[in-house]
Amino acid sequence: LLQKKSNVYSVEIYGTKDLEKTEIGDEEEKYKDLKGNNKKKKAEDLKKELDLEDHKLSTSELEEKYGTSINKGLSSARAAEILARDGPNSLTPPKATPEIIKFLKQMVGGFSILLWIGAVFSWISFGIQLAQGSESPFDNLYLGVVLAVVVILTGIFAYYQEAKSTNIMASFSKMIPQQALVIRDAEKKELSADQLVVGDIVEIKGGDRIPADIRLIFAQGCKVDNSSLTGESEPQSRSCDFTHENPLETRNIAFYSTTCVEGTATGIVINTGDRTVIGRIASLASGVGNEKTPIAIEIEHFVYLVAGVAISIGVLFFIISVSMQNKILDSIIFLIGIIVANVPEGLLATVTVSLSLTAKRMAKKNCLVKNLEAVETLGSTSIICSDKTGTLTQNRMTVAHLWFDNQIYSADTSEDQTTLLMEGQKYTCYKLFVLLCIQRVVVGDASETALLKFAEVILGDIMDIRARNKKVAEIPFNSTNKFQLSIHETDDPKDKRFLLVMKGAPERILERCSTIMINGKEEPLDSEKAEAFQTAYMELGGMGERVLGFCHLYLPENEFPDTYPFDTDSMNFPTSNLCFVGLLSMIDPPRSTVPDAVSKCRSAGIKVIMVTGDHPITAKAIAKSVGIISATSETVEDIAKRLNIPVEQVNRREATAAVVNGMELKDMSLQQLDEILCNHSEIVFARTSPQQKLIIVEGCQRQGAVVAVTGDGVNDSPALKKADIGIAMGIAGSDAAKNAADMVLLDDNFASIVTGVEEGRLIFDNLKKTIAYTLTKNIAELCPFLIYIIASIPMPIGTITILFIDLGTDIIPSVALAYEKAESDIMNRRPRNKRKDRLVNQQLAVYSYLQIGIMQAVGAFVTYFTVYAEQGFLPSTLLGVRVDWENNAINDFEDSYGQQWTKYQRMYLQWTGYTAFFVSITIQQVADLIIRKTRRNSIFQQGLFRNKVIWVGIFSQIGIALILTYGLGHVTALNFTPLRFQYWFVAVPFAILIWVYDEVRKLFIRRYPGSWWDKNMYY
Amino acid sequence: MDGNASAGDMEGQHGTPHQKAENKHEEKVQDPDRGEDETKAEMGSKTWADLAGEMKTFLWNPEERTCLGRTAKSWGLILLFYLIFYTCLAGMFAFCMYVMLLTLSPYTPTYRDRVSPPGVMIRPYLNGFTIAFNVSQPSTWQPYVDSMHHFLAAYDDKVQEEKNIECISGQYFIQGGNESEEKKACQFKRSLLQNCSGIEDPTFGYSKGKPCILLKMNRIIGYRPGAGVPVSVSCKVQKGNESNLRSVDFYPGNGTFDLMYYPYYGKITHVNYTSPLVAMHFTDVKKNHLVPIQCSLNGKGIVNDVNSDRFLGRIIFTLSIGK
Repeated sequence: LLQKKSNVYSVEIYGTKDLEKTEIGDEEEKYKDLKGNNKKKKAEDLKKELDLEDHKLSTSELEEKYGTSINKGLSSARAAEILARDGPNSLTPPKATPEIIKFLKQMVGGFSILLWIGAVFSWISFGIQLAQGSESPFDNLYLGVVLAVVVILTGIFAYYQEAKSTNIMASFSKMIPQQALVIRDAEKKELSADQLVVGDIVEIKGGDRIPADIRLIFAQGCKVDNSSLTGESEPQSRSCDFTHENPLETRNIAFYSTTCVEGTATGIVINTGDRTVIGRIASLASGVGNEKTPIAIEIEHFVYLVAGVAISIGVLFFIISVSMQNKILDSIIFLIGIIVANVPEGLLATVTVSLSLTAKRMAKKNCLVKNLEAVETLGSTSIICSDKTGTLTQNRMTVAHLWFDNQIYSADTSEDQTTLLMEGQKYTCYKLFVLLCIQRVVVGDASETALLKFAEVILGDIMDIRARNKKVAEIPFNSTNKFQLSIHETDDPKDKRFLLVMKGAPERILERCSTIMINGKEEPLDSEKAEAFQTAYMELGGMGERVLGFCHLYLPENEFPDTYPFDTDSMNFPTSNLCFVGLLSMIDPPRSTVPDAVSKCRSAGIKVIMVTGDHPITAKAIAKSVGIISATSETVEDIAKRLNIPVEQVNRREATAAVVNGMELKDMSLQQLDEILCNHSEIVFARTSPQQKLIIVEGCQRQGAVVAVTGDGVNDSPALKKADIGIAMGIAGSDAAKNAADMVLLDDNFASIVTGVEEGRLIFDNLKKTIAYTLTKNIAELCPFLIYIIASIPMPIGTITILFIDLGTDIIPSVALAYEKAESDIMNRRPRNKRKDRLVNQQLAVYSYLQIGIMQAVGAFVTYFTVYAEQGFLPSTLLGVRVDWENNAINDFEDSYGQQWTKYQRMYLQWTGYTAFFVSITIQQVADLIIRKTRRNSIFQQGLFRNKVIWVGIFSQIGIALILTYGLGHVTALNFTPLRFQYWFVAVPFAILIWVYDEVRKLFIRRYPGSWWDKNMYY
Repeated sequence: MDGNASAGDMEGQHGTPHQKAENKHEEKVQDPDRGEDETKAEMGSKTWADLAGEMKTFLWNPEERTCLGRTAKSWGLILLFYLIFYTCLAGMFAFCMYVMLLTLSPYTPTYRDRVSPPGVMIRPYLNGFTIAFNVSQPSTWQPYVDSMHHFLAAYDDKVQEEKNIECISGQYFIQGGNESEEKKACQFKRSLLQNCSGIEDPTFGYSKGKPCILLKMNRIIGYRPGAGVPVSVSCKVQKGNESNLRSVDFYPGNGTFDLMYYPYYGKITHVNYTSPLVAMHFTDVKKNHLVPIQCSLNGKGIVNDVNSDRFLGRIIFTLSIGK
């Protein structure tokens, strides 16, 4: 808030000049950076913006250039012509991938390709069987169709999920059509802003958004808020004068999408749509490549892993099968089975659902996630580059300290200011506050609002006080005199004196005073008291606060009677020898939730870097108060000051904190920047332009960090895009920023980011659990195929049955794991290292595949053998029977007891086997679901019933299995048969074994951290 | 938190192999993942030679003496673990199977609901249910005849008389006593099949274009077909002209399965049990024509009209007799 207009009140250290230089420098840097991104052409385009000459031209030259007239405007016909040539005055939305491409991507992404291969193989074998005139070739046709349907359905589902989350944003970015007041055909017309063309004469007034880049030809008290463009939040005045070579600096150009805060103006449209300055930056942002999100990388890694396992096992057993002299056709069918068994068909859909559940949860906590995958990115974030204004602070000036009676008092700066000062001081206080509140209040001026608010809290109804102290004269603030003065009648009816009050830059005010009020009495202002003033002033200034001085004077009644004509131009009243009342300092205070949030980030191992356009002193003060710079750490400058040595002699390694000025940053090489980012844990970048943000972000990413960036301005959008996760401000943010960001903070509050981090980490953990849960049963599905091929037993489980597990019983439970609470304090560990802490690591895969998965397979095989044995086929009989068993012609197949079976009777028994296998896997998956609730803690520590959704999952799982077995048991195509009730319990001992084994595993992990067991068993 | 994060500092770069001793093992465990990640992230900038090199290091890292990311000791430990683990699991599996098998009776399966009602099969059976031959070419029917002789060898009168007893016809031969006691079997002599016995006509009528086909009912332990009334066999043309099949002779009797052959007591106790047969003598079938024939069992409790199972209580085969 202080930056550009710091010429107003106090805390003037570097002056405005270097700021301007910084900005110009930044422009250059921006272009440099663009070239680095191989966007030379765009860079050239952007350069043209500097060639903009319009601000230098006179009105008549402008009229000539654009073929328009200031009074009459363009003719409608001409305007239509130009509109046809230039296109509408709106930003081209970032090039969206065509819906059909998005859809097709879902169709072939992930495991889909494997399943397509499976489907195609099914159809091929169907074709061959049909050609051979085999008896039941349609099985393979159906299987192929089912596989294709599965792929298409999951694809549609994923597409729908993605579209839904994109729609949230679409509604967000949709703006109310803007209107503009245009002069055309010598008439004033209201037009939709996108109809504007170059050469149009538009009128704007306070509150309007500037509809295009316009060169002002008339302005009255016009101020624009350029914050969305430059990041400066102080409104800037606009006039028709050419004040600066740089079109961005000159006062006679107002930019598209900025807001006119007050006053009125008329101007000629000089650029529309994408050719506006904002338009160019927006297209720059779309040029910054979109990085893959960490979770996308993880999922890809996982898909490769599973696909690799599926393909290698498939091919291996294809070869084994062929070398065992099975028919090629049969071997192909085995291959399909192996692929289907290995691929967790439902998993990607589950992951999408889990992510969108988290996204919903985050939306409730004011984090709106645009891109589903970004949900997790926050969790892996290791550096947050945060804005100051609005994000860390409340974005409103608030009175923070008062100095009077030689003492500093602090005011309550929390969001809901109550009160504050000690009683005994009432008299002086009162005086001071009256002085404050009766001054002119300009709506929109941050300082005035702060004072007003403060006074309101202290005194109550200001309007009343103001009415009683009628104002008779006023000199408004200007930059030369640096004070504001007003003369009032007093509220004491007996007291006929006028009261003169004045506020302004403290040193200027003090100059005009000869006395000072101490404890309600005027005392002469001697050097000792002046010293006290200086100390207080420095102290308040050192806290980065904006300090105001106040003084007053009762004008003697005899000299200034009731009717005295005060003339503010000739100043026919005293402006010196006044009585100094005190100092008051204001700051944009940190949000009360921020310090806590920052410390949470700290303990979560996340480095919080403040990047602000604000003054270093203010930035440092805020950084200290919110804990970005902790109380004990020092910057190089602090150390130098403490040890009283020059800055150069300080060992830079000793300083944990650093405050880097934008100016310094500009001259730094990348290595130096890297060094700073590496060596200091607490960094504040002050006076940075939004373009420098991009450099900082890239620097952080070079360190291998996952970087979150917050921003609100248009100029932030490249950095937001570049960041691993861009976070835009929902309230203060510009549309361009929101478009470039992955996430929108609806309440602009930094604390919401912490919630996001927490949710992100939780979902990462829970996705691990979900994947572990899902992968486990794949082995139980795969083993039957392998044993079927090797031991030639009747097929234990059918391909369709596998699909019913993957897409039926397992779906709800695996989503339910997304509701699992964190096991330990998730915010007390470091962010995951994206190179090492994989979503699916070796331990997870091995533990799921080779331990729990095998247990499940064994349990299911016990059920399988039980079903066959109780029907007459003892396990010994089953080995090696496959060829005869599947022979359609053998209808007197003998079992272990000498009974004879027809083919269909055997098939029906085989389906009963499928059902039994299915039921066993389901039962053991219940145990698997329970053990997956935690990775480290005992289930009993976690609470078996805390996550109710898990139970919904368990009941749904069993419910679906019951429906499939008993409800659909008579639909032969599904290969389910009604199952004897006792077979449901055969696998229960194994389910219990799984639970017990996993509890033991977790116990050892907890008991012996770092041991061999821990390293190999903890996933 | 897990050991991974503590070992892997954020700044930890690739290829910093010298870790502290306690982290050593773990680092290696992470190696494969790492390599893969790197491959993906920097695919563009990496040559295949680099990749091959990385792969080679992964397979055998001479510096750390690791194979596939593990040292010999580490491999030993993990293999030992899995050896124990799978041994225990196999033990548990074996125990469960043992307990399960203990619950089974060796004489009668626990359930017989899937195997009944009985299915039907025919002999001769070569490879399919089409019996096609030319009377004038013995080589076309000789395999059928051989198959019949082979099948009927067990029914030779001598063999039957030697092993089995004569039973009272017309009633179930119920043998009480202990389940484990050996059960007697009733004689089913080949000669009962008369013209289809192959005794008088060793070609079973094939040489005359009047083939015999034997029909047998699947054995089911304890099953008493027909509920007191013998199950009979009938044949008809399955689809097409009824006149293609003009006459069929059935032996023995009128094509019935005598009750005395039931119930069956299972392979272990009913060792010499021979399934009763019904011979169907197709004496007048249209020649030079594919004649699809369905022969079904008829009797109480017999199901012969289920679409899904075409061998349940019936059998469909095609006769094609050429001159």
